Amino acid sequence: MSSLAAQLITNGIIAGAIYALVASGFSLIYNVTKFMNFAHGATLALGAYFMFAFVSGHVPFWAAIILTLIATVIAGEVVNRVVYKPLRKRKASTAVLLIGSLSAMIFVNAIILAIWGADIKTIQLPWQNPVLNIGGVLITGVQVTIIMVAAVLLLGLWLLMKRSRLGIAMRAVMNNKEVAQTVGIDPERMYSITFALSSALAAVAGILIGIEQNLHPTMGTALVIKGFTGAVVGGMVSVPGAIMGSLILGLAENIGIWWLPSGYKDAIAFALLFIFLLVRPQGLFGKKTREA
Amino acid sequence: MALINYFIHLAVLIGIYAIFTVGLNIAVGFTGLLNLGHVGFFGIGAYTSALLALAGVPLWIAIPAAAIVAGISGLVLALPTARLKGDYLALAALGFTFIVGSVARNWTDLTRGPLGLPGIPRVVASTPLFLVIVVVLTVIIALAVHYLMKTRFGRTLQAIRDDELAAATLGYNTFLHKVIAMGISACIAGIAGALFAHYISFIDPSVFGIGDLILVLSMLIVGGLASIPGSIAGATIILLIPEPLRFIGFPSSLIGPMREILFALILLIIIIYRPKGILGKVDLQ
Repeated sequence: MSSLAAQLITNGIIAGAIYALVASGFSLIYNVTKFMNFAHGATLALGAYFMFAFVSGHVPFWAAIILTLIATVIAGEVVNRVVYKPLRKRKASTAVLLIGSLSAMIFVNAIILAIWGADIKTIQLPWQNPVLNIGGVLITGVQVTIIMVAAVLLLGLWLLMKRSRLGIAMRAVMNNKEVAQTVGIDPERMYSITFALSSALAAVAGILIGIEQNLHPTMGTALVIKGFTGAVVGGMVSVPGAIMGSLILGLAENIGIWWLPSGYKDAIAFALLFIFLLVRPQGLFGKKTREA
Repeated sequence: MALINYFIHLAVLIGIYAIFTVGLNIAVGFTGLLNLGHVGFFGIGAYTSALLALAGVPLWIAIPAAAIVAGISGLVLALPTARLKGDYLALAALGFTFIVGSVARNWTDLTRGPLGLPGIPRVVASTPLFLVIVVVLTVIIALAVHYLMKTRFGRTLQAIRDDELAAATLGYNTFLHKVIAMGISACIAGIAGALFAHYISFIDPSVFGIGDLILVLSMLIVGGLASIPGSIAGATIILLIPEPLRFIGFPSSLIGPMREILFALILLIIIIYRPKGILGKVDLQ
């Protein structure tokens, strides 16, 4: 294997891990509340900008990460309370919730634009980002971290959803809200926990992606589309599936530029999305359901 | 005099966006397809007509060609997606917009990428005359859609929206109806896009922006689903609401984000408290 091919595959894994960071939180919400939370991208961008604000305010790096997590979780919970709770109360369909999340996303994006402006921002690392050369393949320390975090998330979320009491309660709410209620699970509490968890995942993704790439107010929009595509490829009804699907998406995009100009990465993602929606809407790891 | 010109300019934009919203209403309001790809068709219409006109094609060919290209894109998008459940369709269509935008940014040989296309010929030089043309077109399209929705075809679309299974049981080819509805909807968006390009004389890939999506969605939902007068009222209200910001000395760099914040808030308030909108016939499903 030539070193160019190895580099493309490595880039694919890095991109896939980035999409997996996005897809994990997105698919978690989908799996518990059954709607596609578009605003997840905006939550992620907000996390990145919080981190930027703390770091440029000379807060120590690790403290900045913790503060960003807290601030993003609060913001996510506010959106849940103000936007989604009233919609759930009037039994709005998932399509209406989607429009609500789109509005929330535009709202948050515009707030970011108003506060921080349209110019590109970068988060300063307190140390040099090392570049590793593994047999001719270049990879940075941040990229290694992204891959490792994505792998931990894959395992952690799988354990959470399949093995823990909390995960079982979440899946109970997803399967049948009324029955879950009769056995003493409070759906609204589950929704709050889900949003908190998903916002924390968005914050982690925002911090890592913010360090790896640059910050701009609408950065979340492109990412949430990729996260959605990864989730569709892997299977929307399974969080680990969504993460695997994201990896496949990242690989497909980066291996695809062997043949196509790199500006067409998005087009490759879109083609993949369409093929899956058309041929296998339940995704690679999902079971066939009547809805998908 | 300047004030008069400003109001005529606003009226032209209201007309163009009214056409745009009426088109979206066919898919979302009458057929129940949450088509978030509408901005993509607007952009396709704008780029097709602008590129043809810049290549020397007369406008009376360029604008209908834009409508046809946008309509065909609508059919093409609908073929794989029309069978999908509401929110899958919505996101797939949004992904479509996103990709068309990325092609417009990257295919620099054709579109000049982010530099945009300047010097697009106007339909007429005089803005008041342009207003007359836009008003006439708005009325024609609004009436055409109004009567189309009273035909057998239009009533079938509404039956699909209300109960697709029942419509299918009665022997209607619901898939075909949905695909055609998307095609017509996209075609009208293409006309609006072409008019926009030939009015402003400049377009760039930002015509595919998500900000415009929230704009037209607000117009549709505030006006009310399945109501043609509602779409026109919605376009008027939504375009007029942020205008006072210009006059109260708001810093110009904040007007853009403030407009989007306003639209997002209005949309949220409507879907939470009055999902029928102002003149809507059906609840947002």
